[in-house]
Amino acid sequence: MNLIERLSKLDRRIIFLLVALAVIIPMLVPLNLPVDITKPVKNVYQKIESLPEGSVVLISTDYDPGSEAELYPATEAVIEHCFHKNLKIYMMGLWPAGSELGNVALNQIAQIYNKKYGEDYINVGYRPGGAIMLLSLGRNFADVIKVDYQGVPIDSFPLGKKVKSAKDLGLVMTFSAGDPGILHWIIYFHARYGIPICGATTAIMAPQQYAYLSSGQLVGLLGGLKGAAEYETLVNKKGRGLRGMDAQSIVHLLLVGFIVLGNVILVYQRRKK
Amino acid sequence: MKTIIPLIIVFACGFYMLITFFIPARFAQASSQTLQNWYLGVIAFFVFIGIFNLIRINVDKIQRRLRDWQYSFILLFFLGVMLGAGFIGGRDSRIFLYFFENFQVPLGATMFSLLAFFVASASFRAFRAKTPEATLLLIAAVVVMIGRIPIGYLIWHGFPDLVEWIMQVPNTAAKRGILFGIDLGLISMALRVLLGIERSYMGGARE
Repeated sequence: MNLIERLSKLDRRIIFLLVALAVIIPMLVPLNLPVDITKPVKNVYQKIESLPEGSVVLISTDYDPGSEAELYPATEAVIEHCFHKNLKIYMMGLWPAGSELGNVALNQIAQIYNKKYGEDYINVGYRPGGAIMLLSLGRNFADVIKVDYQGVPIDSFPLGKKVKSAKDLGLVMTFSAGDPGILHWIIYFHARYGIPICGATTAIMAPQQYAYLSSGQLVGLLGGLKGAAEYETLVNKKGRGLRGMDAQSIVHLLLVGFIVLGNVILVYQRRKK
Repeated sequence: MKTIIPLIIVFACGFYMLITFFIPARFAQASSQTLQNWYLGVIAFFVFIGIFNLIRINVDKIQRRLRDWQYSFILLFFLGVMLGAGFIGGRDSRIFLYFFENFQVPLGATMFSLLAFFVASASFRAFRAKTPEATLLLIAAVVVMIGRIPIGYLIWHGFPDLVEWIMQVPNTAAKRGILFGIDLGLISMALRVLLGIERSYMGGARE
């Protein structure tokens, strides 16, 4: 049996082992590869930069722990940028666990920037209902959100008093891993009420958003971990996004290698027949 | 009557919501908001139904000692722990956050991470250029995979721009076509439901 025939019967456990090594080794020995900045990511950064001090950014964490590895670094980077620019953050989540993940990031970063709950940031927690929730929010924001995530009346906070309608928001930034998520924000919140939307999505969802980017319905996009790494580069913060890019680079190369090898075997087998 | 009454409710509510979408008058908007609030109330109630159903199914599994019943026990135990921690200490309590950050987050991430191993195995066995169309798709996939990583940028500085072009032109064209198809399908399905042609949501009963 020659080499190609042996490779065609490669045990999948060897493939699993190679993938594990491709992830672990770059984590232990960082390569610090430079990250190029793409236009959709630059657009998010420029949009936040263009907001006047004190503007309110609604951050919606529409994901769960399954997508945490891809979206949490982006969440941290954007929150940090907003606080650095002295913008107010109004957080909510269309997914139950997303609101919790967002809350962890928000509280940690708020401490670093000495931001005060209720004045500089607020979290209104998980809001079920998807599309209907967003339509109701756009129509009558104050009527839908009456308490924060701990059940405290929203009007008892200065930031709660400030946001009475969707028009009081400078930007919506959604971190989205599926349904309900970025598409709902674009279709029901931007299209109907004209609020600018930026998004961060898992890499697998990113290609679908390009239709909305080119139409201008989506201002900017952070696609997957690469988007987070690009944003971390822009805000000069070395976080999990940039650290993860080394491992992702090696795994991508490994996958390309597997694809090439698989096709070499295919050609060989066809010729043999 | 069991079919006619639900059909009338669906027809009346559906068309009313459709019409009020285009009428900015105060009464129309307020009444449509009321219907939406009812919907939100019903959705919130689904959470309780979900929890109740989860408990019922898993208790049954434990009682009948069905296959892997031990996992049901672990699930119910931690459901109780998280509910208890949330109700007693609140969502910012140390115990709630401890379990959330050290159990739920890593477990969720692990489940999703397993995909990487299966994709790697599939890339070796299934991503084959058997037809010209498959070859084209494979080449585009390889270019995007290399162009989306920093090493791609180091290999050739033009890779990221090429990837952006693939995303903005062929990808967007294909996605738009698919989206139009889906949306037309959704509109026709919505009309079928409103007009009572499609009744499978009622369990397929016909009068």
